[in-house]
Amino acid sequence: MPPVTHAPPLQIAVSPTRVAVGRALRHGSFWVGGLIILVILLAAIFAPWLTPYDPSIQDLGQRFVAPVWAEDGSWAHPLGTDGLGRDYLTRLLFGARISLMIGFLTILISGTIGTAMGVAAGYWGGWVDLVVNFIITIRLTLPVVLVALVVVALIGSSLSLLVMVIGLLLWDRFAIVMRSATQQLASREYITSARTIGSSTTRILIREIMPNIMGPLIVVASIELAHAILLEAALSFLGLGVQPPNVSWGLMVAEAKSQLLFRPWMIAVPGAALVLLIFAINLVGDALRDVTTPEGKA
Amino acid sequence: MLFFILKRLLVTFLVVAVTSVIAFLLVHMSGDPAAAMAGEGASASDIAAVRELFGFDRPLILQYLDWIGRLLQGDFGRSYYLRMDVVDVLAEHVPVTATLGVLALTFALALSIPLGVLAALRPNTVIDRISLWLAVAGQALPSFLFALGLMYLFGVYLRWLPISGDSTWAHFIMPSVALGYYATPAIMRLTRSGMLDVMQADHVRTARAYGLTPWRVVVRHGLRHAIVPVVSLAAVQLGFMLGGSIVIETIFSLKGIGHLAWESIQRADIEVIQAILLLIAVAYAILTLVADLLNAALDPRIRIS
Amino acid sequence: MSMTAPILEVSGLKVEIPVRDTVLRPVRGIDISVAKGETVAIVGESGCGKSLTALAIMGLLPRQARLTSDRIDLNGESLSEASPRRWRKLRGDRIAMIFQDPMTALDPCYRIGDQMAEILKQHRKVSRSAARERSLELLRKVGIPSPEERLNQYPHQLSGGLRQRVMIAMALLCEPELIIADEPTTALDVTIQAQILRLLRDIQRETGIGLILITHDLGVVAGMADRIVVMYGGEVVEAGTCDEVLARPLHPYTEGLMRSIPVPGETRRGETLGFIPGVVPRQTGDLTRCGFLERCPYAHASCAEGSIALRDAGAGHLMRCVLPAAGSGRDPEAWTRHSEASS
Repeated sequence: MPPVTHAPPLQIAVSPTRVAVGRALRHGSFWVGGLIILVILLAAIFAPWLTPYDPSIQDLGQRFVAPVWAEDGSWAHPLGTDGLGRDYLTRLLFGARISLMIGFLTILISGTIGTAMGVAAGYWGGWVDLVVNFIITIRLTLPVVLVALVVVALIGSSLSLLVMVIGLLLWDRFAIVMRSATQQLASREYITSARTIGSSTTRILIREIMPNIMGPLIVVASIELAHAILLEAALSFLGLGVQPPNVSWGLMVAEAKSQLLFRPWMIAVPGAALVLLIFAINLVGDALRDVTTPEGKA
Repeated sequence: MLFFILKRLLVTFLVVAVTSVIAFLLVHMSGDPAAAMAGEGASASDIAAVRELFGFDRPLILQYLDWIGRLLQGDFGRSYYLRMDVVDVLAEHVPVTATLGVLALTFALALSIPLGVLAALRPNTVIDRISLWLAVAGQALPSFLFALGLMYLFGVYLRWLPISGDSTWAHFIMPSVALGYYATPAIMRLTRSGMLDVMQADHVRTARAYGLTPWRVVVRHGLRHAIVPVVSLAAVQLGFMLGGSIVIETIFSLKGIGHLAWESIQRADIEVIQAILLLIAVAYAILTLVADLLNAALDPRIRIS
Repeated sequence: MSMTAPILEVSGLKVEIPVRDTVLRPVRGIDISVAKGETVAIVGESGCGKSLTALAIMGLLPRQARLTSDRIDLNGESLSEASPRRWRKLRGDRIAMIFQDPMTALDPCYRIGDQMAEILKQHRKVSRSAARERSLELLRKVGIPSPEERLNQYPHQLSGGLRQRVMIAMALLCEPELIIADEPTTALDVTIQAQILRLLRDIQRETGIGLILITHDLGVVAGMADRIVVMYGGEVVEAGTCDEVLARPLHPYTEGLMRSIPVPGETRRGETLGFIPGVVPRQTGDLTRCGFLERCPYAHASCAEGSIALRDAGAGHLMRCVLPAAGSGRDPEAWTRHSEASS
């Protein structure tokens, strides 16, 4: 029997970005995580309009009002008030603002530093790589929380300083991942051929390398966003992060610590918010990781 | 092999040297140490007096060299607040943190390695999903929250465990769990993926083909290989724990160096802060060095070649 | 033929592997028997199910695989319902397996002596020194020079040929009745191949163990096997004594295999070796026609009319084909036409 041959079906070339986005949209975790983040984001952005109260104005006549699910609670203060009479729900919403803002700003800084170092190390190799590796090792050797505490304690804490310190501390993973991603790319043929036709280094970096390391970059960014938010929460918990009159979830937990025995929900509510946010970020990060790995994974 | 060790030692030394400079600069350039030590409400002349007394007016490089010089002679400086030599202060506090770190790591390993092995032996079953969810939960929970939660459940509600102090072994249970669980996801995942790979290996098939018991196959011929990267990871995680102990120690009132660092920062006790920063950095550097050496020792192919 | 009691008797061996929405059937009803002192060669290309058959006989199938059989008897003991514990006792003790790649079959983290002692201690109550003695004895037997040194070495310190000898020594540790060698020489140099095969043959003559030799290389078979079983697509397509099958290949697949071997003295330089066009098909569902149909140069209508049974073409020479046994009816040009048509 003579073999029958079929021509392969005509395929329209699809860009890797479209493939990735398509896969992301089909991924369950992406939707769940993304939804949670979206809700928190919207709550944070529209906080002033969502609540009639001010998060930092004290009302000592309304101290420790019970939340709505307790006996004498009411919808006037759904989550009750804290020791200084401030509405807890309002503080939760405004805390989201600060936590998210600090998170995004810090990864902007750490992402820029880390990516610059990583790409340089991966692209040029040799001495540059050695120096970058050495710097990364130094950074890893320093205890992050301690260093942040020292700087903030001795200089005095302000939001901008906090963002700077965290941003200058959390770039290591960016550098490591971007370095290996760039290394893998730099050895591929289309880079060497771009060099042969005389493309300048900047051009190569921008047009060839950057678009192709976006995948790992976004994945690392999500991981580091979670780290940054956690670090800020820990610092605020220790009292050397966000300071009054600003609100942060970590700060709320710190202030509620003394109420562990009698009013544990005052710790649990901001705590749950934190966990939920980090969990959602991790979900989206995992989904992004699955989606941006080369085809063999699916 | 010897060359390898020497190279690593050199790098470790360089890292520690640079870290000492950074530790020094951090403390001396974050604002004015004299003002910090003099405290709030101090007058300008008070601050000037402090500055002169502690030599903060000398060039930085001289101060640094002076510090290093004394360090190498075993003099870690003097805590102005406690009026003790820093060496003695550290000696009082290091054992607690060391105990905490080791117990926390032990907890993390005892939990994650068996889970990782089981998850790899039965992929996509209940146990696998449980360990996966445990890992995800572990990553999302900040250690101070977990610590407070444990404190509430076991200390306040059930009253099984003491919630502050460090006098008995029981005092270390909750802190160790709260400090160690954060390392659990990474270790578990690494164990799981390593085991999944190694169980497909030919030598494992040979071990099965010769009727060795499942324990021997999984542990002696499987885990023995998969554990190698985990050792490195464990050493590194211990290093992180040493740095991260500050939160746990403050919550549970354990008098370790984390707690000491916290108090010293609040009191601007410069010499102590510097010493602790350097100490933790050196500990981490040594731990990573040990991890690398263990790695090499565990693989005969590297050792004998 | 001598009436020696069979060490191994297998009939109706089937292996199924459920995969997503279908079921793979890589082994579809194999009969094999091995007598004392006999070498049976299982020949076939990759994907025909020969390795899985060997694993099935050893009780080493992966968890997802389902094994069914009418009979698996080892020395009279029925193993079709054997518990995993029983299998563990037998493996390495009564029945041993030698694998293809000696580079990776040994654990690189333990010394040779330790790995051998581990096997002995698993199946026998022996002291450390007794285990060492026995290991040395066997290393000498397989022709390894300075065995005391080798015992203390790690696998990566030995050459490929030495490593395979060590594997043979390990297989012999507990004096098994049956050894299954899965492509024992494929990963080795040609010169070493001959040595290893000769070693296996000598040991067999001396100890009278049964040997199943699995290979895709007919050249290996010629000097070694008493009987040949040819497998294709999970089925036995031809079986008989070595001399018979090699001299008078009946099944078209076996014919094709024979044609692809260069014959020293006959094949001329530049001549194209025969080959069987096509690839081994994926095995799902029941076969309702001849499994070799797509690649057979003699294919015709009756080949597709139902599954083909294995029949005796005389003197125990079995074949699974509708063609007449007497090879005279076949067109000598059929293969050439067939390979030209497929290129």
